[in-house]
Amino acid sequence: MAACAVYTSQSLNSTCSISTPTKTHLGFHQKQVVFYSASKRTSKRGSSSGPCVITCSAGDSQTVVIGLAADSGCGKSTFMRRLTSVFGGAAEPPKGGNPDSNTLISDMTTVICLDDYHSLDRTGRKEKGVTALDPRANDFDLMYEQVKALKSGIAVDKPIYNHVTGLLDPPELIKPPKILVIEGLHPMFDERVRDLLDFSIYLDISNEVKFAWKIQRDMAERGHSLESIKASIDARKPDFDAYIDPQKQYADAVIEVLPTQLIPDDNEGKVLRVRLIMKEGVKHFSPVYLFDEGSSISWIPCGRKLTCSYPGIKFSYGPDTYFGHEVSVLEMDGQFDRLDELIYVESHLSNISTKFYGEITQQMLKHADFPGSNNGTGLFQTIVGLKIRDLYEQISASKTATPLEATKA
Amino acid sequence: MASLTFHSLTGTVEKIPTSSFCSNPRISATFHCKNKGEKRVSRMTLKAMGGAAKYKGTQMREKQLTEMIEKKVTEAKEVCKGDETSDECKVAWDEVEEISQAKADLRIKLEIEKKDPLESFCQENPETEECRIYED
Repeated sequence: MAACAVYTSQSLNSTCSISTPTKTHLGFHQKQVVFYSASKRTSKRGSSSGPCVITCSAGDSQTVVIGLAADSGCGKSTFMRRLTSVFGGAAEPPKGGNPDSNTLISDMTTVICLDDYHSLDRTGRKEKGVTALDPRANDFDLMYEQVKALKSGIAVDKPIYNHVTGLLDPPELIKPPKILVIEGLHPMFDERVRDLLDFSIYLDISNEVKFAWKIQRDMAERGHSLESIKASIDARKPDFDAYIDPQKQYADAVIEVLPTQLIPDDNEGKVLRVRLIMKEGVKHFSPVYLFDEGSSISWIPCGRKLTCSYPGIKFSYGPDTYFGHEVSVLEMDGQFDRLDELIYVESHLSNISTKFYGEITQQMLKHADFPGSNNGTGLFQTIVGLKIRDLYEQISASKTATPLEATKA
Repeated sequence: MASLTFHSLTGTVEKIPTSSFCSNPRISATFHCKNKGEKRVSRMTLKAMGGAAKYKGTQMREKQLTEMIEKKVTEAKEVCKGDETSDECKVAWDEVEEISQAKADLRIKLEIEKKDPLESFCQENPETEECRIYED
């Protein structure tokens, strides 16, 4: 299986084009590539537009696929930004395409929003009486076919669901990236799609925190009130519990966000208790631990060496079972106030897959303006990002070693 | 994004675009011009528009989303009056959620990422209606 990389001898305003003619009804692009040099030579600088060279190289065509289940919109979530940042480069929407595209592309990663696989647009859902959470509103066959194609190195024409108009816009071309992230409500709902995932994460926000966050998000909006925000959450809850929540049993890592236990009766949702639930026995994934792997630890870093302000920081770590699976749970309650608290905590964690001492701290500081940068959500999202990088490198290394075995027929 | 507005007592106003990064939200400088014996007091105000839409299309989209939220919330309350557990009620609040999230995503893009979503499109199509630079 070969991947073709296109190089032009000229700069960006090249007059080269590549046509990839044959497309199946499911939007795949066949592997034949025809090239021609275009006849028009309108180059502003008057440089000659010579012929274009296409080099085909048998590269690593197997894409690593990550699934992220989240109810917070697509591709623009903080988690995605942290993840792409770990790999370097900023993730941008595809240039020159539909400005309402939900896709984000960086050097290594492409993030696809699963809402793009809605089979019913807003009008259609209203007619049928189904919410976006309902599987009946989504085309899992198309989702499976396209994720499978991308994983095998074939580009696809993926539909675009426009969240403003509520319509399905004309498709956009998605080329297979090194790392494909599928983010949305149902990444692990369909068994076939689940089997394509190399790693999966579920963001489990508790009801109280969800309410607090949605208040922060919506209270400034004309039209919204505490009642409308609560009514919206309550109305969506039955579908959420029936279709979305059960996916967490399949996730390799669950990030659970709960209200803090450090402040009695806190309902502001500002200080959070975050639990990173990591499945044991997942290929290429070694859970993070505190001090002594497999034991149970309770740790308050604040004391003589480190002074923290109220309400402080509390960690715990230990084995557990989660939906019948063996897991390790790392938990942080509280907030980071200062840089030295963060670096102190980082220096005591093990199996964090950093490439240098202080990498987690550096990543957190880089995005200090992102929500969650001072608590467990930012910390664990960053750690999961590093774990995914580690997983990707392990998979790539095993592919280079045994390319024939790695390539699936 | 910052713009320099130059006001003079004679009423002429000129806008001079400056660099896109401005750390102080408001910088004022007052100076006097002497011209043909007249004294003119002119004031330069530097206004930073760090979180606002750059293109008209985006500004209109912000307004559209705000209005949609209001409308959809009213609709949902109306629909749910009859039966709170009905499918219609669920769908109505789901639409409110969808639009609220879309508005929040736009706000994040403008305020935190400081990028107008039409940036790439408007580089290619600067003459279109939506790509007119939004001025207040």
